[in-house]
Amino acid sequence: MKTITVSFLLNGKKTSVTSLPNRTLLDVLREDLGLTGAKDACGGEGECGACTVIMNGNPVNSCMIFIGQIEGTQITTIEGLMEKGEFHRLQKSFVEAGAVQCGFCTPGAILTAKTLLDNNPHPTDHEIREGLSGNLCRCTGYNKMIDAIHLAEQGGLDD
Amino acid sequence: MTDRFLTVGKSLHRKDAWDKTTGKALYTADIPIENLRVGMIVRSPHHYARILDIDKKQSLEIPGVLAVLMSDDIPGDKVFGPLIPDQPSLARDVVRHLGEPVVLIIAETKRAAQEAANQIQVSYEPLGAVFDPVQAAREDAPQLHQDGNVITALNIKDGDIEKGFQDADHILDDTYTLPRIHPGYMEPETSLAVWGEDQTITVWVSSQHPFTDQRFIAAALDLPVENVRVKSGVIGGAFGGKEDSSLSILAALGAWAIKGAVRLVNTRRESFIAHPKRHPAQIHYKLGAMSDGTFTALKAEVHMDTGAYASYGPAVAAILTETLAGAYRIPNVQVESFVVYTNSPLSGAMRGFGSPQSHFAVESMVDSMAEEIGMDPVQIRRANILKVGEKMFTGVTLNETANALPICLDKAQEIMDRFRAVEVSPGKKAGVGMALAAQSMGLGANVPDDSTHRLEWAPDGKVLIHLGAPDLGQGLAMAVEQITAEALGLPYSQVESLPLDTLDRPNGNVTCASRMTYMAGNALIDASEKLIQDLLAHAGEILEVPAKMLVYKEGQIIKEDGKKLPVVEFLGRLAEKSITLTSESTFSFPYPEETTPQGLPIGMPHVLYCFGAQVARVEVDPDLGTVEVTHFAAIHDVGKVISQSGVEGQIEGGVATGLGYALYETMLRKDDQWVDSFTEYLLPTSKDLPTHYESIILEIPEASGPYGAKGIGEIPLVPTAPAVANAVKNAVGVRVKKLPITPERVLGFID
Ligand code: FES
Ligand code: FES
Repeated sequence: MKTITVSFLLNGKKTSVTSLPNRTLLDVLREDLGLTGAKDACGGEGECGACTVIMNGNPVNSCMIFIGQIEGTQITTIEGLMEKGEFHRLQKSFVEAGAVQCGFCTPGAILTAKTLLDNNPHPTDHEIREGLSGNLCRCTGYNKMIDAIHLAEQGGLDD
Repeated sequence: MTDRFLTVGKSLHRKDAWDKTTGKALYTADIPIENLRVGMIVRSPHHYARILDIDKKQSLEIPGVLAVLMSDDIPGDKVFGPLIPDQPSLARDVVRHLGEPVVLIIAETKRAAQEAANQIQVSYEPLGAVFDPVQAAREDAPQLHQDGNVITALNIKDGDIEKGFQDADHILDDTYTLPRIHPGYMEPETSLAVWGEDQTITVWVSSQHPFTDQRFIAAALDLPVENVRVKSGVIGGAFGGKEDSSLSILAALGAWAIKGAVRLVNTRRESFIAHPKRHPAQIHYKLGAMSDGTFTALKAEVHMDTGAYASYGPAVAAILTETLAGAYRIPNVQVESFVVYTNSPLSGAMRGFGSPQSHFAVESMVDSMAEEIGMDPVQIRRANILKVGEKMFTGVTLNETANALPICLDKAQEIMDRFRAVEVSPGKKAGVGMALAAQSMGLGANVPDDSTHRLEWAPDGKVLIHLGAPDLGQGLAMAVEQITAEALGLPYSQVESLPLDTLDRPNGNVTCASRMTYMAGNALIDASEKLIQDLLAHAGEILEVPAKMLVYKEGQIIKEDGKKLPVVEFLGRLAEKSITLTSESTFSFPYPEETTPQGLPIGMPHVLYCFGAQVARVEVDPDLGTVEVTHFAAIHDVGKVISQSGVEGQIEGGVATGLGYALYETMLRKDDQWVDSFTEYLLPTSKDLPTHYESIILEIPEASGPYGAKGIGEIPLVPTAPAVANAVKNAVGVRVKKLPITPERVLGFID
């Protein structure tokens, strides 16, 4: 198999990667680029959302994206969410609302929540439940994640 | 009353949460290591087969393959097991379940490892497998282990069972069937092992008891225990499933073989087929009651499928059996339980540890009995709940925390009335149901249960907790930080717990059985007192006054004249003399003689109980059979809240797992393969859970608990499934006796 080289914008930085084409974005992030915030919880079957990253503004399961598909895209991973050393409001609200337990689902859930709020600044409970439904969590029962998203959306964070 | 606590009971932020929101938290699969090699396990494609031959020649020739290991390559113990050493690390002669590890490949790359796995030639002679525990218990079934298939047979009698049923005006008899459940932690089993100098090895694990991993690894590699250092990575959930070795022995074997670094990570499929599950069980349950509702007799027979190897099966059977009468006083009892080997994937510890199974039977049956007699579900429970000082059929006398039971029922009644008044959606039928629960705490009498933890007062004033047990993600670290901060009168920010490392941490024992906050909390309160005494003794020397003239309060030492001196000053002076203040304390789970019976066949009765009740409102589509849980309330006595958000998180997460048990989850065998992915095995998502949810937290102090606290880790999922089943019965009149409650079962198409 021949390798391919792709260039894309990763967390705001121009990045290029050379790899066999049968590898996924998740493999490349974790194994080649040392970005281990995206997790594999389902065996790369697109069922858990733990590997979620933002690609061109949309949440995607990075285990389902082959690297040939990322040429020219803009990708944000959890490592790129802080701005100028400041936590993103969702990172704060997840901590504040007690939405983080084991944390394995947290990076994926936060990135999904970010795209949700980017597209719909004040979602209802129902819209949040729909939006988060691709991100499995075994620890929290989701209630505190929903609270966290409302907290971020309503700007009620302590600083 | 004003709250006398500084830190305990508050909702604070978990200190580990920040790194978890930024991706910095390092789980075992994330830890960067130089020259890391990849491990891959070749697993049995058969449920039961003899291994005729393993030919590894071709696979060894593949470039990049470093080792191809079989059972014979293991230098020390070839089998392990938490209770019974019956499980081969790599199969020998025979495979007893699909997915059993047979060969371990170590290679430079995933690709080479995969190629080697494809090339390995294992020839098998398939044998007739057995999956049903009732069949497997028969003598004519294939016998999977030398001593037969029945590994545990409990038979407990209390009172006079014949007379009990004679006294009954009503007798009901049913069989309840419980499915195999995946603990479903998001982080699959993972281990990372690095061979070091002088015959030493360091292994990172995702485990509930790294000290057990240490012992197993040393035995397998034939190394002294002190040569094996086990460290805890950040743990992505465990729920009992990581009481069993999570690949640590095989990762260590690989590292030993290549004298290098090896990581093993289970795929989700491997996690499904090869790591312990919640025991499937069949419970035959017969209950007698008088016409006023008083229970007179219980007879039960239980068959539990523990799969190919014992894991924690015998211990799970104990709790399942002990909780068969739920939270009720039943004077005449006879229960028999069998734990049986089959060719299914193994079953072991999972949150609740037998009690979710027993409660589905008890709490469904109690509702059936209420209906039979024509009583209200709460009323019949009120007539039978255990009271303080009463004996359970195990001989255990209940302490004053049983006072929570009537309060749980009062609250449940209020909530049921409220839920019943909710308007029904068009085309749907609504129903409200409740269930009560008792969950034991602790490992059980006669099981040694000591938990040791250490405190260190660092020169900068920070107190470090050398916690002897891992935080599984549930928030143990926060709870013990709050307790220690309280005991020392320090701000929460000044106390920090350190991750587990067997090199220099005390052994706090396994994090499980709803008891680690209780155990570690008690030990740390005691260690805090010792630390203060030690501080005052040193301060007295420095100030040249007798220590008893000094008082410690909230980070300061107060002299007789009222002058306050900050503790850091003394810590600094001590540091100059190379003195570090530390203290260590061991808490042993108490089994008071007066409440702990002796000589039971069960051998290890549990004496402390947590109580709770849950109420579900469902809407059922009578044509489709679909069940939606629209409203849910969980009422739990926690003794004393240590961490408000932590307790809520445990309850909410537990209920979600309980709803998965009730409605969705089952690891079936289809076309001779096990369901092995989240595509078919449905975990509840945010869309599936009730939109109206309430937690009602009661605080009835447990005298032996830290600040009165008891456990909350397990009970939140125990009454959930029967509460839903009772609500479904209330809505459409169908009694579902087999979980999960699928539309087919609601419509009565199957079972
Ligand atoms: S790893 Fe599960 S969806 Fe990608
Ligand atoms: S916090 Fe553990 S899976 Fe979500």
